[in-house]
Amino acid sequence: MLGLTKTRSYLYLLTALFLLIFPFVYESRTLLILLTQVFIFAMFAMSYDLLLGYTGIVSFGHAMFFGIGAYTIGIFMKSFEPSIFYLILASIVTVLLTGIISFFIGLLTLRLKSHFYAMLTLAFSGLFLVLAEKWRTLTYGNDGFTFRVPDLLKDRTDFYLISLVLMLLIFLGLRRFIQSPLGRVVQAIRENEQRTESLGYNVLHYKIIASVVSGVIAGIAGMLYSISLRFVNTSVFSIDITLDALLMTIIGGVGTLIGAVIGSGIIEFAHHWLTEMAKTHWIFERWIIFFGIIYILAVMFFPQGIVGTVKNLKFKKKDRSQNTQA
Amino acid sequence: MDVFFNLTLNGLATGMLIFLLAAGLTLIFGLMDVLNFAHGGLFAWGAYSGIWIYSSTGSFLIGMIGAVATGFLLGWLTEKWIIKPVYGNHVQQILITLGLMLVLSELLKVVWGPNQISASPPDVLKGSWEVAGIVIIKYRVFIIAVGLLMFFVVQYILKNTKIGLVVRAGVMNKEMVQALGINIQKVFMFVFMAGAGMAALGGILLGPYSGVIHAEMGMEFAILAFIVVVIGGMGSFPGSILAAILVGLSGSFMAYYVPDLSLAVNMLLMAVVLIFRPQGLFGLKG
Repeated sequence: MLGLTKTRSYLYLLTALFLLIFPFVYESRTLLILLTQVFIFAMFAMSYDLLLGYTGIVSFGHAMFFGIGAYTIGIFMKSFEPSIFYLILASIVTVLLTGIISFFIGLLTLRLKSHFYAMLTLAFSGLFLVLAEKWRTLTYGNDGFTFRVPDLLKDRTDFYLISLVLMLLIFLGLRRFIQSPLGRVVQAIRENEQRTESLGYNVLHYKIIASVVSGVIAGIAGMLYSISLRFVNTSVFSIDITLDALLMTIIGGVGTLIGAVIGSGIIEFAHHWLTEMAKTHWIFERWIIFFGIIYILAVMFFPQGIVGTVKNLKFKKKDRSQNTQA
Repeated sequence: MDVFFNLTLNGLATGMLIFLLAAGLTLIFGLMDVLNFAHGGLFAWGAYSGIWIYSSTGSFLIGMIGAVATGFLLGWLTEKWIIKPVYGNHVQQILITLGLMLVLSELLKVVWGPNQISASPPDVLKGSWEVAGIVIIKYRVFIIAVGLLMFFVVQYILKNTKIGLVVRAGVMNKEMVQALGINIQKVFMFVFMAGAGMAALGGILLGPYSGVIHAEMGMEFAILAFIVVVIGGMGSFPGSILAAILVGLSGSFMAYYVPDLSLAVNMLLMAVVLIFRPQGLFGLKG
C-alpha cells in the first residue's frame, strides 16, 4: 500500500487506530488539547518538510502562510456569522491567498540561489507581521481578537478527530504526491539541480509547484490552529512559528514525512513540559535556548534527524547480515 | 524645508546603521557564499554589551570599543564553532546560523533581562545645532560621520592592502585564489570578524539613536540589511552603502508621509530588483 513495507503500514495503521479511539477510553482534557496541537503542527511541519526535505528549499517565512490561514478564518468568523457556509468560504479564501502568494514568491526567487528564497520569505513574513499590527480595523492590532466557531467544531473531542483525520489525509496525500512522477522530479532537483535541468525538466516549474502545495497546506494548518484557540493575534506571523516547523522537521528527520509528525509530537510535549518547569526555575522560562542549542547540535551531528538516523542504523544492520551470509 | 532636511538626515543616519550591518553580510556572502542569519544577533549583542559598558564607565568611546571587541570575539567564536564545521553545505549553513540567531537573542535576555534598556547620547553629542533656522540633531550627524568613516576605512583596506586584494579576488573567484597558495580560510576568518565588529558597532550606535534597545531589534535590522544586500548586490561593498542609503531614505520619507507603507515600499523595491536585475544593482555575479 502506497509503497510502504508491510510492517510499516501496519504500524502506521495501528497508531492511527489507537489515536482514533484514544479520546473515548482516556479522559483528559489537557492531553486531548495537546494532542490536537500536535496534529495541527504535524501538518504544518509536513508542509515544511516538502520544501526543506524533498525539494531542498529553505524557507524562513513559512509562518506567513500559517498566519494567513489563521487570520482568514478569524476574520470571517468575527465579521460574519460562525456558520459552516462561512467556514467553507474562509477555507477557499485561505487556499487561494496562500496559493497566490507562494506562487509569486516562488516565481521571484526560486530561479536564484537558495539564499534568496530564505531571505525573501523572511522579509515577506515580516511584512505580514507589520500588516497584522497596523491594519487595526480588521485585525485589532497586536492584541488580536477572539471569535466564535461553528457548532460542529465546538466539541473538543470532535475537533480532535477532525484534526486527526485531516492530518492523516494530508500525510497520505503528500506521500502520494512525493511518489508520483511529479514528486520524483522534485526530489531529483534536491539531489542535483543541474542534472535535472539538463534532462529537460523545467526546474523552476517544479519548484514553484512544491512551494504552492506547501504554502496551501501550511495555510490549512493555520486555520485549524486559530479554530482550536478561538483566538488569533499577531504571534501567528512571528518567526517562532517558522522555527517550530524547522525544529520539528530537523529533529524528527528531514525528508521523511513521518519525521515531521514525530518531531511535532516531541516539540509540542517538550513545550508543554518546559512551560510547567518554568514555575520551578526561572531558566526554564527561556526554554527557547535549549531548543536552539539542540537544534544547532542536531544540524551539526544529526542532519538526518531521528527517523533518518534510525533508518541508517537499520540499513547498516541489513548490510552486516547480508555480508555474513555471503 | 525644515521637514525635508530632517527627514533626509534621519534617513541617512538609519541608512548608515543598516550599512554597518549589511557590509559584513555582503562581504561574508561574497567570499564564502555563507549567508549569515545570525548577523542581527551580533548587532544586538554589540548594542547590549556596548550600552552596558557605556553606562557603567560613563564613556561612550569605551562603550564603542567594548561593543566592537564583543563583535570580534563573537565573530571569531561563531566562525570557529558554528560555520566551519558545516562548511560547504549551503542548506546546513543557512539552518545553523538561524539557530545561532535564536540562541544569541535569547542569551541576551538571560544576561540582561527581558526588558528594554534605555540609552541616551553622551553629553557632547546631546542636543542640536541651529543653522539658518534648521534644527540639526548632533547625534544623527555623528552616526553619519562614523558610517562614512567606516566606509572609507574599509574601502581603503580593500583597495590598497594585500589582504584587501585577496578579499576582492576571493569574492570574484575563490578557487583561483586558493590555487595560488593563499589560505582563504584565514582570510575568511578575518572578514567574518571584521563584519561582526561592524555589526556590533552599528548596534551600539543605534542605542542612543532610538532611545531604547531590546532583544528583537537584531531581527528587525537584519531584515532591512537583507533587503539592502539584495538590492545592492551580493558581494558588492560599494553597492551595500548605496542601497543602505536608498533604503534608509525611502524608509524615513515613507514613515513621515505614508507611515503604513514604509516597510512595504522597501519590499517592493527588493521585488522589483529581483525581477529585473537579480544580481543586484551593483552585483557582479548572479
